Amino acid sequence: MSRSAEAALLLTASVVAAFGTALIGFTRGVGLDAQVALTFIVFVGAFGAVHLALRRWAPSANPYLFPLAAFLAAIGLTEVYRLDSSLGSVQRWSLLIAGVAAAGVLFALKGDGVVALRRYRYLFLAAGVALLLLPLLPDSWPIHGIEANGSRLWIGFDLPGGRSVSFQPGEIAKLSLAIFLASYLADHHLAMGTTRRTIGRLEIPAISQFGPILLAAAAAFAVLVYQRDLGASLLIFILFVGAIYLATGKLVYLVAGGGLVVMGGLASYQLFAHVQRRVTAWLDPFADFSDAGYQVAQGLFALGSGSLTGSGIGQGRPDLIPAAATDFIFAAVAEEMGLAGAIAVIAGFALLVAVGFGIALHTRDLFRKFLAASLTLVLAVQALLIMAGVLRLFPITGITLPFMSYGGTSLVANMVLLALLARISHGARS
Amino acid sequence: MNGPIRHLAAVIFAAFAVLVGAVTFLQVIQGPEYRDDPRNIRVVTGRAGKERGTIITADGVPVARSSPDPDDPQLFTRTYPEGETYAHVVGYATLIYGVSGIEKSQSAALVSDRDATISGVLNAILGGDIRPRGLRLTLVDELQQAAAAALGDQRGAVVALDPDTGAVLAMVSSPSFDPASLLGRGAGPAGNALDSSPAEPLRNRAIDQTYPPGSTFKIVTAAAALEAGIAGGGTTFLDPVELQLPGSTATISNYNGDVCAGGDTVTLTQALVSSCNTVFGALGMQVGAERLVATAEAFGFNQEIPFDVAALASVIPGAATFANDLPGVAQSAIGQRDVRATPLQMALVGAAIANEGEIMEPYLVQQVFNSEGEIESEAEPAVWRRAVSPATAAALSNLMVKAVTSGTGFRAQISGVSIAGKTGTAEIPDEAPDVWFIGFGPVDDAADSPRIVVAVVVEDGGSGGLDGTGGSIAAPIAKAVMEAFLGV
Repeated sequence: MSRSAEAALLLTASVVAAFGTALIGFTRGVGLDAQVALTFIVFVGAFGAVHLALRRWAPSANPYLFPLAAFLAAIGLTEVYRLDSSLGSVQRWSLLIAGVAAAGVLFALKGDGVVALRRYRYLFLAAGVALLLLPLLPDSWPIHGIEANGSRLWIGFDLPGGRSVSFQPGEIAKLSLAIFLASYLADHHLAMGTTRRTIGRLEIPAISQFGPILLAAAAAFAVLVYQRDLGASLLIFILFVGAIYLATGKLVYLVAGGGLVVMGGLASYQLFAHVQRRVTAWLDPFADFSDAGYQVAQGLFALGSGSLTGSGIGQGRPDLIPAAATDFIFAAVAEEMGLAGAIAVIAGFALLVAVGFGIALHTRDLFRKFLAASLTLVLAVQALLIMAGVLRLFPITGITLPFMSYGGTSLVANMVLLALLARISHGARS
Repeated sequence: MNGPIRHLAAVIFAAFAVLVGAVTFLQVIQGPEYRDDPRNIRVVTGRAGKERGTIITADGVPVARSSPDPDDPQLFTRTYPEGETYAHVVGYATLIYGVSGIEKSQSAALVSDRDATISGVLNAILGGDIRPRGLRLTLVDELQQAAAAALGDQRGAVVALDPDTGAVLAMVSSPSFDPASLLGRGAGPAGNALDSSPAEPLRNRAIDQTYPPGSTFKIVTAAAALEAGIAGGGTTFLDPVELQLPGSTATISNYNGDVCAGGDTVTLTQALVSSCNTVFGALGMQVGAERLVATAEAFGFNQEIPFDVAALASVIPGAATFANDLPGVAQSAIGQRDVRATPLQMALVGAAIANEGEIMEPYLVQQVFNSEGEIESEAEPAVWRRAVSPATAAALSNLMVKAVTSGTGFRAQISGVSIAGKTGTAEIPDEAPDVWFIGFGPVDDAADSPRIVVAVVVEDGGSGGLDGTGGSIAAPIAKAVMEAFLGV
């Protein structure tokens, strides 16, 4: 595989995206219009920028990462555009920004690569925590939290002229925290992995080594309590527990983490109405069809109506599902592109995750190894959690499906995540 | 250091595999159940926003059309320009209240082929016309308006048809409703109000409601007698004040409670002209249940009427139920007891007499045309059934002309035109009667005459209340429709 093959794949994905926009045009009766060209140009621009940056600053980076993301983004944008063309055009510009951001990260890391980030681990920890807490800023401040759908996970900047921009800091926080973790674990994995005593087959390190995991649990619980953001809180906690396990290989951290999740879950179910609501909707969406269960039930109707080959793009009614463009984009794809499209999406994520873990396995340097594995883990868990929510294997957590859901912050964060993985894979053996 | 990464990767790939299993289960195995769940409004709404074909009357008045939604050009909104006048026949295609009338029965033609079926897509690629087809109905706007105006705010129905072809020229039910009120966001409360109204405005009384046919049924009884050779127009009968029913204390009396015509004897002709209950009760017993029921069934009773929208069957109990019930036969012979008919059925009774004993299949859709206005298919009139012989039909036609010229149907007279008709006043104990008129015209020597049959029913005596009769309330309505048709 060469960079030229990557270019060919990226171009193909751009054609797929343009084809998707064209199909929607046909079902709306407008035929081929400027939107089709715009989609193609934006895809070529976004992924072309990344591609050129890779050629220039990381020529031996893994060539599968961005083509896979481009195919997922093509399917996602098509469905978002189909649900609401104004959201679709915003998403298109977000993709361009995300591409430029990923290229920018590759440029910034052109010297030492991601190793440059290792020294600033406490800066990244502080940034991660601060980003998580930002949405708690009061509404009257120029930078303030925004409450949407009962969760406070957005922040807005008021710009001069009454306009404002908003983003989800949690999406960026996961990258900061992954960098912190990889750096911290690269230094402490030995101590954390040293067995002090055993209970049965469980090897237990010194109690003090459980500090980070408890810290993570506290942070995740705080996010859950103050921002009512089930998804981000779970994602951060799984990132911490998973990364510690990756670095130490000690099952006890998974057991402890699992125990804390169960305890936290039970406690939050008792304490918070919004958690109860989601769990009830998960257990039986049809019991309270018109209210709590409505979204999940509509998702199931969408899946059932899609069947094997789907209704056809623009031919179904995914707009009946609340939050179809964000949390339920997977259901929308499954309705209009059928089981075939749904499995293609799952396979796309599985391949991306396989590439990510492959990079981690082939990297010698511990910091980069841990970082690659943590970033892959966070990507995998995010995709799994929200798809499992749609498929009723898990309660709805309200996080985005990477590269596919509507949302600029998510797109930028995940493209940057891939840029980091790509930079790690460049010169993995050094 | 790679062991834990491999373990974690294995867990994650297992999770992806579970997702594939779950999505396959939900979409394919469990899928049909979700798709067909009554709460899944995809099937209905998938069509609600789509373009539906235009529906026009025989004379080109649009009664239903789709226009692009100004807010979203992908969606279309349905409008019913003539509102209440066509509400029952044309029906509605709505999100919440489903589909009815022509909108329901003809939806295959009215819905766009832009649905993603293989043939639809191929058709589109090959440049085929994927827009919905339009319909030209047999209804004539002038007659429809005349019938609605004549019925006014009385409850009832009017059916007019061409006896030679079966084409329905007018079909009105009252009270009506505005189909627009069932569209859009205010549909919920509006629909509930219509649905629970005791006046049942959503019901198409012309085809979806049966009434005791009263004296209009005497045509059937007379037909049975003529066909069996039991009586002719000149056959005489006794004219008592009341008819004592055998094996029972019950009696049948005439509408005025007196003798029917002079009090001595009366001919069959005179009995039909004056609508003598006593005579027809006796004649019914003479004809017998067997022949009476067989004749009614020949006219279409107890049969499903082949029609473009679903119509209720009219009912007469089987002959066996009258085995030990001569009074029941007598009462059935004058259209009382358990005999029930829709206005469409009684129009077909009239049509049989007007069309030499043959009933044509009634129909509402004259043409199906494509989006370019080219005709794709045209209705072909077909015989439904023979009710009586041509001779019987001719004899009954003569009797019915006399019933208008010198009998109870005199209010249907149109100067210069020979009209045939029969009134009916179906008595309901302690309540106002349901009143009827069925008639046709012109009755002359022209090859295509008569050209129109009209059946009218008005509930609860209409504006006449307890004193309402078929002659006073229903006949003038039929007259108005026939006048509009004949242009006099």
